[in-house]
Amino acid sequence: MSDTSRETKLNVAFVRLADTLTADFDVVDLLHTLVQECVDVLDTQAGGLMLSDAAGKLQLVASTSERADFVEIMQLNAGAGPCVDCFTTGKAVVVADVDASEAWPEFRTAALQQGFHSVYSTPMKLRGEIIGTMNLFRTSRGELNRADAEVAQALADVATIGILQERIIRESSIVTEQLQRALDSRILIEQAKGVLSQTANLDMHDAFTALRAYARSNQLTLRSVAERVIDRSLQINAGRLTGNSQRA
Amino acid sequence: MMGKSARAGAARPASQARRPNGEDLYSPFVDFLPVTGVSISVIGETGRQSTICASDPIAARLEELQFDLGEGPHWTAMHTGQPALVEDVTEGEHPEWPIFGAAVLRIGVGALFAFPLPMGAVTIGVVDLYRSTPGPLKPGAVATARSLAGWVAGPAARYAIQSAGAEIPAEMQIAPELRREVHQATGMVLVQLDTNATDAFFRLRAHAYSSGQTLHDVAHQVVTRQLDFRDLKE
Repeated sequence: MSDTSRETKLNVAFVRLADTLTADFDVVDLLHTLVQECVDVLDTQAGGLMLSDAAGKLQLVASTSERADFVEIMQLNAGAGPCVDCFTTGKAVVVADVDASEAWPEFRTAALQQGFHSVYSTPMKLRGEIIGTMNLFRTSRGELNRADAEVAQALADVATIGILQERIIRESSIVTEQLQRALDSRILIEQAKGVLSQTANLDMHDAFTALRAYARSNQLTLRSVAERVIDRSLQINAGRLTGNSQRA
Repeated sequence: MMGKSARAGAARPASQARRPNGEDLYSPFVDFLPVTGVSISVIGETGRQSTICASDPIAARLEELQFDLGEGPHWTAMHTGQPALVEDVTEGEHPEWPIFGAAVLRIGVGALFAFPLPMGAVTIGVVDLYRSTPGPLKPGAVATARSLAGWVAGPAARYAIQSAGAEIPAEMQIAPELRREVHQATGMVLVQLDTNATDAFFRLRAHAYSSGQTLHDVAHQVVTRQLDFRDLKE
């Protein structure tokens, strides 16, 4: 990618993120935007963002695909893969050739099956504490160049700040609270995807797209839409929404 | 920051996450809230509730009484999914729990605060807080208690599964109660049975238990549409 076109895309990415940060924004939505922008701007094809829960286990909070096979890769990655190594050491982990990596056999098999040949994991740090990791996947071999790696880190830093700003800081426990809230939002979203999948006969990826499209077009948070879908006070007209749905 | 245990938890890498003990689970509540004691209970595989930890004998006794009598703020929080706050148990009538209301006066407790343990829209258990003297929880403390309840819900559910001596398959060890398909299946089953999220989740668990499968296996069958709870006999 030429420098100019990347710079333009990068500006667009930061503007989109800034848009997400205004008013009553939803942290899952922000992280989803972030990982999508990263993949669009950088030479990568898929991405997933993991946050640490109360037990120090990594949970997938946002990804470019909600399909089961990609989610599975990320879960294996959190168990034994570059993602958990990045989280443990607090340093970026570069896997230039997944096929040649021997440390994580299950992750390697799953990643190769999905056509991913290189991976880049970068930490999300807040005041020296590692709160999660951003993971970018490529279908080609090789390392991310230094400029792209710096962009990835800058975008990950924006997401970290976003988690802090979701609500006004009122207590020192804010970081842990926000992490907790993001993880709990993610569970609500999964439950709401199930409701929508059953009522509108959608797969889980399209169910997520429909939830997000509804939230965006009505200027609601993903979390509040999920809550209303689960308590059945909101019926989403999925026929209309599937027409708009984009495969991320 | 919420506390030492939470900080350590956030910084600790997943591969080295150790199994929490009961004290890890309840100590943030007594450390960060103006309460005397706490007990935490979760619903087990068979649908029965059990106390997984209590900070002192009075906290344990309060839980036991509410379980035996089937009434009290614990049950209000469990059934409504909302906190049940009783700032003075000695004052006024408590029509929702007359027997417990009389019994609790003999224990020497001033205030009771019950918070649901949330897993998305599912309530998986309750944390019961008590104070020896009457008095309200301030809004900030209520917010902190809610946040702590959310924080403890996952580890508490995991702790309950592990304490029960159940063998946990390797695929479940990543995050037994947090696999996405479990939450997705909860949403599907609540539509299939026209019920709420908590009931749907425990129907999933009960079916897994009675058929000798893991929760994740059953959830997978639901999500892949091999299993529909409308086809199951009661």
